[in-house]
Amino acid sequence: MRTRALLGSIFGSVAVLVIGWQAGEAVLASSSTTISEPQASGTTGDTTGGTAGGTGTTSPTSPDATPTETPVASGPSDGTYTGSSVATRFGDVQVAVTVANGTITDVTAVQLTDADGRSVQISNRAAPMLRDEVLASQSARVANVSGATYTTQAYLSSVQSALDAAGF
Amino acid sequence: MTTQLQSRPAMPQQFTPAPRAQLRRNFARRARRADLLVMTLWTSGAAAAALFLASGGAGQFASPAEVVTSLGIIAGLIGTDFILVMLVLAARVPLIDRTIGHDRAVGVHRSLGKPALYLLLGHGALLLIGYGMSSGLDPIAELGPMLSLPDMPLAFVAMGLMIAVVATSLVAVRRRFSYEAWHLIHVLSYVAVAFAIPHQLTVGGVLANGTAQRVYWVALYVLAFGAIITFRFVEPIVSSLRHRITVAGVRTVAPGVTSIQLTGRNLRTLGASGGQFFIWRFWTGATWWHSHPISLSSMPTGSSARITVRDLGTGSARISSVPVGTRVSFEGPYGLFSDAARTSPKLAIIAAGIGITPVRALLEHAQVAPGDATILIRASTPQEAYLWDEIGELAAAKGAQCYVMFGPRARSGPGWMSDQDARRGVTLKATFPDLADSDLYICGPSAWLDLVVADARAAGIHPHQIHAERFDW
Repeated sequence: MRTRALLGSIFGSVAVLVIGWQAGEAVLASSSTTISEPQASGTTGDTTGGTAGGTGTTSPTSPDATPTETPVASGPSDGTYTGSSVATRFGDVQVAVTVANGTITDVTAVQLTDADGRSVQISNRAAPMLRDEVLASQSARVANVSGATYTTQAYLSSVQSALDAAGF
Repeated sequence: MTTQLQSRPAMPQQFTPAPRAQLRRNFARRARRADLLVMTLWTSGAAAAALFLASGGAGQFASPAEVVTSLGIIAGLIGTDFILVMLVLAARVPLIDRTIGHDRAVGVHRSLGKPALYLLLGHGALLLIGYGMSSGLDPIAELGPMLSLPDMPLAFVAMGLMIAVVATSLVAVRRRFSYEAWHLIHVLSYVAVAFAIPHQLTVGGVLANGTAQRVYWVALYVLAFGAIITFRFVEPIVSSLRHRITVAGVRTVAPGVTSIQLTGRNLRTLGASGGQFFIWRFWTGATWWHSHPISLSSMPTGSSARITVRDLGTGSARISSVPVGTRVSFEGPYGLFSDAARTSPKLAIIAAGIGITPVRALLEHAQVAPGDATILIRASTPQEAYLWDEIGELAAAKGAQCYVMFGPRARSGPGWMSDQDARRGVTLKATFPDLADSDLYICGPSAWLDLVVADARAAGIHPHQIHAERFDW
């Protein structure tokens, strides 16, 4: 190969790799589990009742319409609490946590990573495992599911925000 | 000779050779374009890897499973980029043909085939391993979940087709197939490339919807398929319809060698240079499905052109008997075996056997001053001295020196010469005293041609002064 073609190829290749890498850094920095809280069914959500977390379509089950029944300042109130939506590179993650008699009885996925087929597959595998772990430990402090780091982090922080709302 | 030239006052301008500086500039421009093509090729490969980085790939090397998966994705991106580059090289884009010539474009296309296949096989294998590692499955068991992903079954079909396409193109395997069978399988590569597209867009996160990476990637496909559609299909059809070429006559030059006279409209606007070839298709019931790359054996006039062909395969035997009036479609002109490749003021030509045909047109078209061109033509037997009378006339008209060589090839000494001449001690330098200052055009069978090129290189001529056209299809 001619020297000029060789040097030009090296220069061009390095240049596009650096540009790609820099663009990727920006993606990584901006998307490391940013939590948006448009509908964290916080303390106010308890009193209004009905539409837990604004996403009424997703959790039509038990509306936390009975907050006044148990005005216990210490314990968590019963009901279903929708956690905050957590954005990842592979799509948003949001869960709803059901609390009854002071324990977490169910965690349902409102939304899981869906940017592409592989992400859907990973989340579908990880979500049941994370649900079992959360129910077993009764907290959001559970181990990472290997191969599904983004889903795990987002899932658990959505669980945590729901638990915060429940007063857990 | 000069008197003959003076007797044609209408054409003196045409015979003024391009000055040396002009030839230098032309060559420098072509070399610059060639370098640019090389840079584009490698940079596009790097850009494919950069797409992965741009999607945040640098953060995907945290665990062994992630490393394997990431490498698999990068292999797929680069492999696919190579496939698209191969499509562009096979598209006979005029700019590429004018820069490196059809032969070299096909050569690069071929040399990319195996690396591309290995990268794509690596892509599949690494992702099976990587996905398997992250979900605790062995690579074989991972096939199930893999195939359940959207568009993955199609991608597996694409991989199977691609293996078939590359495998049938390996030199050892290709010989077992007829050209038509091989070509039919080769056309499947379009299907393979198309079938692989959906999974790229739906399965991996790299080309996710709404990203710049996706836009770039889709643009590459548009470019590659656009080039194929434009230059392999639309342009030849339009050109064939415009020029309306038909067979005007078929003349047997020698046993097994036929000149086909063609007529058509505005054939000068084809822009063909002497030495270039077209890919012809003769529309009779027996011949329409077979296309033939055949060089012009004389320069087109406004309404006529001529090609000369030797029976090399069953297909070319049949075209020697096409009836007058047969419609002819064509692709071309192609190739750099022409004046466009000139780098030096003088001209040296060596041709053997049927390799005489492009040389005949090249000489006719060449701009050389009297005494600046030397021709050496070779044949094993007098029966193979095709068109030699015409070469002799042209050489006389152009003031060119013409040598001939007869007889079987030499067993010792320069093996491309006839035995008799090799024994006499004929050398390349003695035949072409101005070789260092000439462009050397060589045309003939591949094995013979390699010997001439080696001899020319040994005589100290620069590679860019050597222009070869191989007759071995």
